[in-house]
Amino acid sequence: MNQTVIDAHNISKVYNPKTIPVYAVNNVHLHLVKGEFTALVGPSGSGKTTLLNLIGGLDRPDSGNIFINGTDITSLSSSQLVKFRLKNIGFVFQSYNLIPVLTARENAEFIMLLQGMTKSERDARIEQLFRQVGLEGLDKRRPSGLSGGQQQRVAVARALATKPQFILADEPTANLDSKSASNLLDVMYKLNQEENMTFIFSTHDQRVIERAKRVITLVDGRIVSDTAEVNVTEAHKADG
Amino acid sequence: MILQLAWRNIWRNPLRSLVIIVSVAAGLFAALAVLALYDGMLISRLRTVIDTETGHIQVHDPGFKDDMEPGFVIRDRERWADLLDKDPAVKYWAPRVVSSGMLATPSGSAGVQVNGVISGKEMPVSGLDRKLATGMAAGGWRMADSGSRRVDSGRQAADGESWMADSSLGLNDGRSILIGRKLATKLKLTLGSKVVLTMTDKDANMVSSAMRIRGIYESANTPLDEVNVYVRGTDLAEVLGVPGSIHELAIILKSDDSVSAVQHRYSSIFPGDKVESWKELSPETSLMIDTVDIYSYIIVIIILIALSFGIVNTMLMSVLERRKEIGMMSALGIGKKRLLMMVLTETVFLSLVGVPVALISGWFAVSYYHKNGLDLSGMGEDLMKSFGYESLIYPTYPADKIPAIVLLVFISALLASIFPSLKSVNIKPAEALQK
Repeated sequence: MNQTVIDAHNISKVYNPKTIPVYAVNNVHLHLVKGEFTALVGPSGSGKTTLLNLIGGLDRPDSGNIFINGTDITSLSSSQLVKFRLKNIGFVFQSYNLIPVLTARENAEFIMLLQGMTKSERDARIEQLFRQVGLEGLDKRRPSGLSGGQQQRVAVARALATKPQFILADEPTANLDSKSASNLLDVMYKLNQEENMTFIFSTHDQRVIERAKRVITLVDGRIVSDTAEVNVTEAHKADG
Repeated sequence: MILQLAWRNIWRNPLRSLVIIVSVAAGLFAALAVLALYDGMLISRLRTVIDTETGHIQVHDPGFKDDMEPGFVIRDRERWADLLDKDPAVKYWAPRVVSSGMLATPSGSAGVQVNGVISGKEMPVSGLDRKLATGMAAGGWRMADSGSRRVDSGRQAADGESWMADSSLGLNDGRSILIGRKLATKLKLTLGSKVVLTMTDKDANMVSSAMRIRGIYESANTPLDEVNVYVRGTDLAEVLGVPGSIHELAIILKSDDSVSAVQHRYSSIFPGDKVESWKELSPETSLMIDTVDIYSYIIVIIILIALSFGIVNTMLMSVLERRKEIGMMSALGIGKKRLLMMVLTETVFLSLVGVPVALISGWFAVSYYHKNGLDLSGMGEDLMKSFGYESLIYPTYPADKIPAIVLLVFISALLASIFPSLKSVNIKPAEALQK
C-alpha cells in the first residue's frame, strides 16, 4: 500500500479578510503518496506558491488541516514547525537562494550541520549527492562562480541532504535555459525513480508538466483538475 | 558553522564593515587617549601634592589647624627629629613655623600664610628651590644646596648641630621673604620690593616686620602661590614669641605605599600630636583618585553608546539587505535561536575587530607621549595651574583598564545587536521569499 505523505483537508488562505477578501487557496483537498512526481500548474495568481507554502509549513492556512506523515502541522507552534521543516521537508526555490558566502559544498552541508550530523556522515552524503546531481569537482566554488543550472543543482542537493519526506520546488526551472532546465529535470526524475523521492513542483514549464506523473491545475485558488483523479476514474472504468 | 557564516557575512560589504571597524577603533583610541591623559594628569597632580605641597605626612599640634595660633607648637620636637632621622622609611623631613598674617604694600594688601622654613631641609621636601622663578635667592639656593647635599643637610643637623640651624640659602636674614608670582602680580611687587608682614604673636599682640622680597617662586598650583610666603623659620619663631619651636613637620617617605603604616606608627608613638597623611591634607586629590575610575568608565561608555548607534544602523542595513536569504534560512529550518546567534555574532565580530587596532595604536601613541610628555600649555596653562595641574602631562597607558574596556565593547556590541537580531527573527519566510 502506498504511504501517504501529504493529506490536506479543506485548506483555505484568505488575504484581506476584513476588507476585500481574496482567496489565494480556497477549500483545497490534496492527497499525495510517497514517490509522486507532481506538478502544480495554473496561471499566475492561481495560488500555486501559496499552496506550496502551506504544505511546506512556511505559512499557515486560515482554515483546514494539513497532515504530513500523520502530523497535523497546522497545530504545531512556530518553533516546532521550524524543527519539523528541518527534518521532513526539502525546498528548492526559483532563484536558487543559495548563501553567497558559502561554497557549493557548504551550502549543501548547511542543513546537515543544523541537524547535527557528524563530519563523516556529512562527507559521505555530500559525495553521494554531488555525484547524483552532477556537481563533482565544483564543491569549493561559491554560487557566484556557478552557472544558474549548477546553482539550482546545489539547491537540489541541499534539499536532498537530510533525506526529507518530500521536496517542494517552486518553479525550479523558471530561471534556467532549456538545456540546464532539462538537465535539472533529469536529475530530479532520476532521484524520484531511483530513490522514490517525492517531488511537488509549482511550474509553468511545459517540459516539467510533460515529465510529471501527476498534474494538478489550480485556478483562483481551487483545484480544477487533477490527473490522479482522472487516472483513478479511468481505472475504475477499466475495472467495470 | 554560525561563527564561520557570521565572519564571512561581515565581509560581504567590506567598505561598510571597514567604516564601522575604523569607527570602533577610532572611538576606542579616543577613549584610551582620554584615560591615559586622565591617569597622567592624576599622577602628575598626586606627585605635585606629595612632592611640593603636603609631603606624604604632616604633623601638627591637634589645636593648631583650627586657628593657627602660635602657641600650638609640636611638643617633643627633639624626639621627633631623632626618630625621623633614624627611620629607614623616611626620605626627607622638614620642620616649619607657620602663621597667618597680612602682607601690606603701599598699593595694597593680602592675607597670607607665612611659612618659616629651614632652607636646607625645606628644599628636598617641597622643592621650593625648583619653583623659584626669579630672584637672587634662586642662584644661591641652587648652587649651595642642589642634589644630594639636600639629604646631607638634614642628616648633618641631626648629627650635632642645632637641627633648627639655617644655612641662609637666599633667606639671608630675618628681613628676607619669598613670595609667589601670583601674589607678586596681584600686589605689583618685584624683586627688592619692600613689604610689611603683620601677624599675631603667642600673646595675641600684633607684630609687624618690614621685609624685602628676595625671590619669587612659581608652582603648579597658583591658588597656593597666592597665599604662601616663605621666611626664615628661626626668625619667624622669634617674632611669634615661640623661639626654637615649630608648628609643622612635613615628611617625605621613600615609598608611597608605606604612608598608612608610618602614619599609624607615629600616631601611636606621639598620641598628643595630629599625624595626617596627604589623603587627609588634600582630600580633593584623594577623592579624585578614588573616583577617577568611575569617570574613566563613564567616558568610555558614552563613546561606546555613540558607536553603538552606528553599529545598529549597519547591522540593520545588513539584515534588511539579506531579508530573502534569512527567510530562506528560516524556511530550511535554521530556527530563531541560531538566527539570533548569527546576527549577534556578526555584531560582536564587527565590534571586536576594531579593538586590537585601537589597543595597539593607542599603546604606541601613549608610549610616545609618556616618554616625551604632552605639552598642554597652549590649552590654558594658567587655567591648569589654577587647579593645581602641570601643563606638561605624561600620559600613562591604562593597561589595568583594558579587560574592562574590552568587556564594555563586548556588552555594547551585544546590546547593539538586539534590534537587528529581533528584526531578523521576525522575518517571515513566506513573505521574504516572495518573488
